[in-house]
Amino acid sequence: MRTRATLSGIFASVAILVIGWQAGSAAVTAATATSAASGAGARPGTPGTATSPTPSATTTTATAPATTAPAAASAVTGSFTGSSTSTPYGSVQVQIVVANGTMTEVKALHLTDDGGRSVQISNTAAPILRSEVLSSQSARVSTVSGATYTSDAYLTSLQSALDQAGI
Amino acid sequence: MGAHLFETMGTMVSLTIVEAPGTSEAVEAVKRRFAAFDERFSLYKPGSELSLVASGQVALTDSSDELRSTYAAALLWRDATGGAFTPHRPDGVIDLNGTVKALAMQAAADDLLDYGFSDWCLNVGGDVLCAGRQPDGPSWRVGVVDPTDRTALLFTLPVDGTRHAVATSGSAERADHIWTTTAISRSYLQATVVADDIETADVLATAIIAGGPSALASIVERWSIDVLTVVRDGSLSATPGLSAALARR
Repeated sequence: MRTRATLSGIFASVAILVIGWQAGSAAVTAATATSAASGAGARPGTPGTATSPTPSATTTTATAPATTAPAAASAVTGSFTGSSTSTPYGSVQVQIVVANGTMTEVKALHLTDDGGRSVQISNTAAPILRSEVLSSQSARVSTVSGATYTSDAYLTSLQSALDQAGI
Repeated sequence: MGAHLFETMGTMVSLTIVEAPGTSEAVEAVKRRFAAFDERFSLYKPGSELSLVASGQVALTDSSDELRSTYAAALLWRDATGGAFTPHRPDGVIDLNGTVKALAMQAAADDLLDYGFSDWCLNVGGDVLCAGRQPDGPSWRVGVVDPTDRTALLFTLPVDGTRHAVATSGSAERADHIWTTTAISRSYLQATVVADDIETADVLATAIIAGGPSALASIVERWSIDVLTVVRDGSLSATPGLSAALARR
């Protein structure tokens, strides 16, 4: 039963961790997260779309422990994977690594978006060099976005030139 | 291909559409759609319903469901942005200009889809909503104006995935049309928001210009959008998704 209680605590931690992501709470993640999970912050604007992985307080809901936990009497060692959950970033799964009853690592798995690339969880705007964006100019342009222009301003706009070119 | 041009809401609409039988009917439907929104919501037309509400000739409670629901939605945006966006002019008049253009664009998009057109790009006064692809296959590409030199592009962005809407707001042009409940920020010259829908893109671009860095930080954490801002000193900042899109080309 001690094992069971320990696991319960671990899964509760994971659940709190995931909830912490949804709340964008850095404090919770900082307490337990490793590099894979730090800075994880789902947007609270879409709280309904993510549910915490739902392992209950038993080992049976943890899918496929990579290494099986030893017999009940000794402390648990192994890795445990929570069920997959849908988030605005795509499917997310949490894996924990336990050594002698202590959680040593938390990994966020399957962090991919629709395009299949890995996703940076933080959506904070960061400085970007003008040269990095200027290089994108050369490509052909279908239309031009700019601060709202009036009918008069349109006449001298790039969009007007583009429309005149009829391409 | 060529663009269909017409003037409405004090600005210019440029609709690029892959020609097919029925194109002219679809374009006419789009024109009617914009005209209908303008008739109801323009504060430049003394007889519009919103003008009558503004002048007190029609009580808000007696106004149409469409007007009241549009106003209610704008108030939700005000609350969601902490007041950085607001549908109220400083004199208290309800001004729905901040959402109506986007709503008209979305309605026009629905019209085009109803007419069976799935590949087009709609530009209304610098806000862009695209569907499908260019005729020869590639994604539509949106160039964004450099606010320090409006004859030049700052960058271009492919419109793909689910992000079909690109809105740019600035403090250089028509800045007097940005209403906010807070002191207007002078931090950003321009903000471009890429979103799934044009209403979100348009409102949040305005809110970022009005609310400055604190609004930006809050907004990018709460909505699934990408943003590129041009700071007053000319420096840039971008969300990771937008940086990645620019690097991916």
